Amino acid sequence: MDRLVCGGADLHGAVGVETMTTLMRVVWIIVLPIIALLISVLFLGLFRKVTARIQRRYGPPIYQPVIDLVKLFTQHSNISHGLMFDAGLIIALAGSVVTVLLIPAGGIHPLSSSGDLLVIIYLMLIPPIGMALSAGASGNPNASLGVSRKLILALGYEVPFLLVLLTVMTYTETTSLLNVVQMQAGSILSWGVFRFPLAALATFLILPVMLGVRPFDIIGAPQEISSGPQVEFGGKYLAFATVEHALHIFIVIALFVDLFLGGATNLGTFFLKMLVVFLIGAFIGAVYPRFRIDQALRYCWKWPTLFALSGLILVVIIGG
Amino acid sequence: MMLVTILLISFVGAGVTYLVGKSIPRLRGIVASLVALLPLILLAFLYGRVISIDYASVPFLDINLSLRLTPLSWLFAVSIVVLGGLAVIFSTGYMRGKERPDYYYFMMLLVNGAMLGIVLSGDFFSFYIFWELMSWSTYLLISYRGGESLGAGMKYIIMSVIGSSAMLLAIASLYVSYGTLEISSLATALQSASIGYALFALMMFTIAFGIKNAVLPLHTWLPDAYAEAVSPFTAVLSGMLTRMGVYGFLLIMYAIMGFGLLDMFSYGPINYNIILAWAGALTIVIPTFIALLQNDAKKLLAWHGIGQGGYMILGIAFGSTLGIAGGIFHTLNHAIYIVLLFLVVAAVEYRTGGKRSLDELGGLIKRMPVSFVAGLAGISGLIGVPLTNGFVSKWLIYKTLVTEQYPFLAFAALVGTWGTILSVFKFLHNIFLGQLPEQYKDVEEVPWTMRAPMIVLTILIVLFGVLPGIPLRAISAIQTHLGMTPLQTSLFGMPKALGELNTLNIFFAVLAAGLVAYAVFSLARRSKRVSQYDNYAAGARVPVGQYQHSVKFYDQADRLIRPYLRDRIDDFYSWIAGVSTDFFEQLGKIYTGNVNTYATWIVLFVAVLIFMGLLGWKP
Repeated sequence: MDRLVCGGADLHGAVGVETMTTLMRVVWIIVLPIIALLISVLFLGLFRKVTARIQRRYGPPIYQPVIDLVKLFTQHSNISHGLMFDAGLIIALAGSVVTVLLIPAGGIHPLSSSGDLLVIIYLMLIPPIGMALSAGASGNPNASLGVSRKLILALGYEVPFLLVLLTVMTYTETTSLLNVVQMQAGSILSWGVFRFPLAALATFLILPVMLGVRPFDIIGAPQEISSGPQVEFGGKYLAFATVEHALHIFIVIALFVDLFLGGATNLGTFFLKMLVVFLIGAFIGAVYPRFRIDQALRYCWKWPTLFALSGLILVVIIGG
Repeated sequence: MMLVTILLISFVGAGVTYLVGKSIPRLRGIVASLVALLPLILLAFLYGRVISIDYASVPFLDINLSLRLTPLSWLFAVSIVVLGGLAVIFSTGYMRGKERPDYYYFMMLLVNGAMLGIVLSGDFFSFYIFWELMSWSTYLLISYRGGESLGAGMKYIIMSVIGSSAMLLAIASLYVSYGTLEISSLATALQSASIGYALFALMMFTIAFGIKNAVLPLHTWLPDAYAEAVSPFTAVLSGMLTRMGVYGFLLIMYAIMGFGLLDMFSYGPINYNIILAWAGALTIVIPTFIALLQNDAKKLLAWHGIGQGGYMILGIAFGSTLGIAGGIFHTLNHAIYIVLLFLVVAAVEYRTGGKRSLDELGGLIKRMPVSFVAGLAGISGLIGVPLTNGFVSKWLIYKTLVTEQYPFLAFAALVGTWGTILSVFKFLHNIFLGQLPEQYKDVEEVPWTMRAPMIVLTILIVLFGVLPGIPLRAISAIQTHLGMTPLQTSLFGMPKALGELNTLNIFFAVLAAGLVAYAVFSLARRSKRVSQYDNYAAGARVPVGQYQHSVKFYDQADRLIRPYLRDRIDDFYSWIAGVSTDFFEQLGKIYTGNVNTYATWIVLFVAVLIFMGLLGWKP
């Protein structure tokens, strides 16, 4: 091992970051979360519509979540279980917004020089921890049950997901997500999905788990634990939780597009790619029943982990 | 002279505290805190200096005993004084009304003094004496409460003695070979040693420091010892005392052997560093998942103490600039948050009558908000949530492993983190969140003497997380002193060449996003506070005060992974202990007290000798 000089990262370090002027960067820091919010809320509406059509129902209009959000936010009575109950939600939302800023979205990457892929996966911890704190502070047994399920599920999908990320980082010899995206530029064949197919496959298999859609909507299972962590949220609290959930979906899918589908050079293409990934997830979600938590854990640690592990071994043997 | 003064204050001060405590109990706490914190002033003056002095000589061995201060010992000394001092201040509240307080303070200050002695030693003779002083006074403090703690203490001291015997063997052999025990002279002398001899010395020290730092498979003393010691002392034990092992590894590997010698211990792709790194990786993964199964708050933290030690070893073993910086930084960070977490447990114990089972507490956030915030900061540091100190040091270690293309080591380190989240969230949730049991509804926050240390540590966690440049500068000085390429740092982040992390930007982004979210939140109607029992259960009535909702928090996962997580190493040692106890008991039976039996033994022994003589064996 080369002890004194540290790795190949210095070569890639600052490429492409300086191309944006400070003013543009500030503007994007403000605009990007808003766009992300709109897109992800529309995704939620689309999800309900698609599910309904598959199940031969008419379904609500696509903009239904927006109506819901406005209604929830302006509701007259709100109920709080203490300071942590409020603060947890705010922490969760702040964490989500910052994570969005660190993920390159179609050539827009206002903050990606402040944190690499390692920072992103750690920042992705803040929203669930904030939600868990808020839910825990509510004192509702169902909320605690939901949190417990959420954390077990996270342990389940993080094992293959970390292997996948290490595969990507080992293959590209960088920890910067921006560099990973830039290295996939050019033809379709240089996309991550063709360079490390096993990693892409493993991620695709755990995508529904990460998004928390069926068959893995174990956390908030309404019929079992009355919506889990969200059970005590009403009014503006539920509005915040919904927004946080929407941003989470945005983050996961954007990450998938950046890692495996070559990112994009403009926002339009980027959102189109996200839409495709999301729809596939929604199709799966619409036709499956719910798993039990131990089944989900076993699922995550079986095929996805096996694929991810063999992907990593392959990359280590063949080299980047 | 100042180094001698520091040690004199610590040791004489311990005695003075004992006497003052016996005569004027009122002043006990104040004197103890002063003695513990006074060396900090002297150390502050010594920042950045390298000193070496002889303070005594041993005529019959013809060696000089010396003290020396290097950037490495300075950093450890400051951590010892600050954390030890905070634990002592905390104790002044915690120990009120407990039995034998004078003995407790005396031992606590003695341990602090001994640790200072270890890091300030300039030769192995002093090093060994302080090391033994530390081990034995620790033993007395672990078994201080009697009962179950006697067994824990015994386990600790047996393993400690094995470690120090190995170290003594190496030290004696070094003295015989080179006629000196001066650390700086040995560093030069060993460079010309044969590989076999150097490896022998290294292995002996590795055993000693590996046991102290609880590296797998030498970790088994730790969980019981941590759980049974008095809580503020557990804080010191986990924060600094165990990490004397890390100091030892740094000393032997990089201050004495150096890269030149370390590189020689290799056989193909396998070398000393990579074996140590893998031991570190295993130390991360297995104990972290065992921690998930614990229901005793202190045992849970104790297993994390082992696991986090793995990160330090992993970073240090890897030996790159980033890795060593990460390893040392993580040692410091871990000390801060684990001390804080044990103090939080102590605070909870103090107010709930010694409860530390995670199945019996809950909802204390309403009664002890300061302790809750401290606990939250502590677990965030332990997980390594961005903007807390633990994140930066872990990031340095991950970054090294990824850029140097060791993905499997990196995987072990990362998976360890995700195992950590589950168990420490259970820790926080089951103590502070959820429903407050009726019997604790009148509990109060702990007194200020206990609150203040927790607040200081909480601030340190965030400060080092947002401005890691402050401690990293001291670490960079250590690397320069050890002759490595130092980590280039600025106050506000990492240099571009090393990658992409700017904690200050992230801090402001989170702050801004949080403020916006708060502003939007306040725009909506104000909410009404309701009681913890006023909640929705899908139409069912939840009986009040009959259920503990947090019992078996991760039951589903627990059932799946428990079978794989038995501590077989501990079983194995216990088996050896059992077998040897039986064996020696049987052996003891030859002393029957009957002269005839003894005569028989003698005749048998002579017969064996004659028989062996007949076979041609010559003594």
